[in-house]
Amino acid sequence: MIKNRHNTFASILVILFGIVLFYFGTDGFQAFTAETARVNQLMDDKPRFPDVTLEDSNGRKYSISEFKDKYVFITFLYTSCATVCPQLEMNMSKVYDLLPSKYIGEDIVFLSISFDPKRDDPETLNKYKDAFNSDGETWRMARIPNQSELDSLLKKFGVIVIPDGNGNFSHNSAFYLVDKKGRLINVMDYQEIDEAAKKVTNILVNETEE
Amino acid sequence: MNQKTFGLGLFIFLIIPPVANLMESVMIIHMHMQMPILVITGFLMAPFFQSKFPRFFEKWNQNGIPGILLFIIVVGYWMLPRTMDEALELWAVELFKFISLPFLAGVPLRDSWRKLGQAGKNAVIIFFSIAFITMGWLYINATMQLCNNYLLIEQITLGWGFLTMGIAFVIFLGYRFFFNPSAYE
Repeated sequence: MIKNRHNTFASILVILFGIVLFYFGTDGFQAFTAETARVNQLMDDKPRFPDVTLEDSNGRKYSISEFKDKYVFITFLYTSCATVCPQLEMNMSKVYDLLPSKYIGEDIVFLSISFDPKRDDPETLNKYKDAFNSDGETWRMARIPNQSELDSLLKKFGVIVIPDGNGNFSHNSAFYLVDKKGRLINVMDYQEIDEAAKKVTNILVNETEE
Repeated sequence: MNQKTFGLGLFIFLIIPPVANLMESVMIIHMHMQMPILVITGFLMAPFFQSKFPRFFEKWNQNGIPGILLFIIVVGYWMLPRTMDEALELWAVELFKFISLPFLAGVPLRDSWRKLGQAGKNAVIIFFSIAFITMGWLYINATMQLCNNYLLIEQITLGWGFLTMGIAFVIFLGYRFFFNPSAYE
């Protein structure tokens, strides 16, 4: 009987170890993938949009301060992408349509940033934007010509881009919301269009009421 | 060379950074070769610990259940998509992988397996059949990239790997259920 008690005790100890291991390994059963962990971490950190030069589909060059006192709704893409990016941009355009139009351009601007600056020159971006009814003004598409500036932004916003060697990239996708002071305040699931639109609308309504 | 030194040698070989990097560069090799071989090195090294600390195993793992639970927990932990990513990004997690899989999974597996009855062994295999088939289904059907360090196509490959192993377990269980080896002796 005594031996059995040792076994039971050891089993309980092992199960406790397992609970602790899984608890810390998943941030309290919250994040089972590194992507969820990354998003949670970003929302805690609220990193600032770095000072990088954007070049948009009209060839205009500016930094994020162009959108001062406006929220910026951001996605990251490359135009040669045939899989996730069209879906991502299509969903972005749905969010664009769902937001009350009085805020568009006034309180919020949409911005698609390419991480493939070599191929995505203003001309290419200009063609691409038409496919999604982006007007190039309240929804702009831009590249960051300087690779090291681009890398610093991707790193800060936790965008992981892996070239696959055939001219394609594997990358994680999300909706990013930057506030009027240039801080990342929200990262949203790009497949939950209604939820994202609702969240952004709430933020805008609260902001204008104040 | 006896199996203890062979296990140790294999373990050291797997730790060598170029070997580790190469195996981790492909998702399915990372999860279905490197990790199981690490468990096997522990399995091979187990007699060393059993002869050094016979009382410990006798006292705390007499019926084999604590050991097999530890094995299931550690292996289950390494099946999470996140742990694979973190092993590549954080050195502490990588270190934990090289310690936990041989010593907290391989060693207890060997000590427990012969102590478990037939029902216990079947229960463990049934558990892993279900777990592997579920993970396979998950990795094949997830449209999202579950691991940031691997491509989606690798994820699907891993899914099929899981599914194949799950099916192999089921065939094994079926064989054990329907055939009696002693009838052929």
